[in-house]
Amino acid sequence: MKIEHKIYLSNSIHILLIVLIGLVALQNLNDILTKFRFTVIAEGLNATFLEMRLAEKNYFFYGDVETFNNIQSRIDQTNATLLEVRPDIIRAVGSAKFTKLQDYLHVYAQLIDSIRKENHRDVAAQKKLREAGQDLKTFSEDITALEIESIGALIVRSKNILRVSFLAVVLFAFLFSNLIVRNIGKSLRKVISLTRAISRGNYPKIKEQPSHDEMGEVINAINAMAEGLHNREKEIIQSKRLASIGVLVAGVAHELNNPLNNISMIAQTYTEVYDGLSKEQRIDFMEQIDEETERLRLIIHNLLDYAKPKEQHLSRADTNQVIKKTLSLVQNMLNISNIKITLALAEDLPDIYIDEHQIQQVLVNMATNAIQAMDQGGELRITTRYLPDDEKIEIEIGDNGKGIAPEFLDHIFDPFFTTKEEKGTGLGLWVSFGIIKNHQGNIRVTSQTGIGTTFTISLPSCHKLGVANC
Amino acid sequence: MTKHSIMVIDDEKIVGNMAKLTFEQDGYEVETFLNGESALARLTEKPFDIVITDLKMKGVDGLEVLRTVKKLYPGIKVIMITAFANLDVAIEALRDDVHDFFPKPVKIKELKASVKRALGEE
Repeated sequence: MKIEHKIYLSNSIHILLIVLIGLVALQNLNDILTKFRFTVIAEGLNATFLEMRLAEKNYFFYGDVETFNNIQSRIDQTNATLLEVRPDIIRAVGSAKFTKLQDYLHVYAQLIDSIRKENHRDVAAQKKLREAGQDLKTFSEDITALEIESIGALIVRSKNILRVSFLAVVLFAFLFSNLIVRNIGKSLRKVISLTRAISRGNYPKIKEQPSHDEMGEVINAINAMAEGLHNREKEIIQSKRLASIGVLVAGVAHELNNPLNNISMIAQTYTEVYDGLSKEQRIDFMEQIDEETERLRLIIHNLLDYAKPKEQHLSRADTNQVIKKTLSLVQNMLNISNIKITLALAEDLPDIYIDEHQIQQVLVNMATNAIQAMDQGGELRITTRYLPDDEKIEIEIGDNGKGIAPEFLDHIFDPFFTTKEEKGTGLGLWVSFGIIKNHQGNIRVTSQTGIGTTFTISLPSCHKLGVANC
Repeated sequence: MTKHSIMVIDDEKIVGNMAKLTFEQDGYEVETFLNGESALARLTEKPFDIVITDLKMKGVDGLEVLRTVKKLYPGIKVIMITAFANLDVAIEALRDDVHDFFPKPVKIKELKASVKRALGEE
């Protein structure tokens, strides 16, 4: 169900609850009003009955016949009133009690009537009348008291109903919003972890069947986005690869043309100025040609070496051990260059699955670059860590050398790109990049001119690669 | 008659050295530079007749040398050489009024002929 619908449903249930509570409260108030009305009528009747009893006593004491007319008119008046408020009374006390009240009144009226007609003043008639009067009055007073009592009970019931319904509404609101919010929270947490993974360059998907609400739509959209980004990344890598072939070819042409031109110019000049050259100069010319030829040979050798598809000899390895072995290779260089090493190697690293020789080549390349960037000496920091979420290890190689200018930073992995004048072939980082990519890893670089450069290599753990017994 | 002067700029040292030898034998005065910055600095002190410059250099490159020379010393002829056989750059250089454009490896005879043309000696 959609969240929108859930909220509508929740609100509708709330409104229904409140209307129900209102109706019950209204019904109770009506009941109270009916009973209250009855008690007002009953008080009137009770007063009349009391007067009738007083008149009856007067007749027996003083024999005042006029009293009968007085009582009779009150009985008639009461009968009329009873007929008039009949529905009210029936509603309040029921028809049985109403009929009984009428019966009592009827008996009393008959007795009055017979006494008046026959002018009884004997004790038996007197007693009968007194009893009937007493019955009438007691019954009337009893039902009045009963009704007053039931008004009290009704008020207490209303109070209880209101209290319970108030609790029910609050509880329902709490439970329902909690239910909605908890589902949204769960989905949002999934979305957050997914976007974090995407920002780290992974493109996982939320695999659970998404719910049929708005959060489900969001998750579907994000899954689609992750897939789109992944495809885009593949395209970009492909187009970068093509561009880098172009850069490579142009670079190769330029690299070869320079020594070729040098040889050619030496040869042409040699012919032109031959007569004016001393023996030493001629030898020097030939030596220069030899040097340039050697330069060409080196370029071609490097190219072939890098172009050759290398067979990977993969095995399990301990990252920290690989780093230590590599450091022993460059230790001498570091000592000469007055560079201090600071190691911060994590102890909980899982094994990686690598061609150790190739990874050492990358690390030597990084160390060499760092050394060359710190010609006044400095500090080489090597840090390792494990990223359990991505099942990756990271090797961070940082220096406090001269740094790389921002405009060069995008090109340092391009073939033949170098900032090292004569010293660099411009192939080291390009090759390193290729090696790490072949290991399904990644290289990032951050640099600030005058502060230093940090390369971060990430490699999947052998467990992530699905290597047995990892 | 005063000697014509040639400035050669190339980060490949051999280019300067060879050009110096061969052009000096022909009676030119030659100064060589390994980068654009030092060459442009020298131009403020001494006027040259011809500037032969490499295109791709660290820092101030050949195109920048060409533009600066054409702006400050429009009388100086500029000849461009490059190991990049890239037509786009050649076209851009021509737009900026380069006298000649040679891809490496350079034929010294052609270079000499170009210098002579530039000086109006042919």
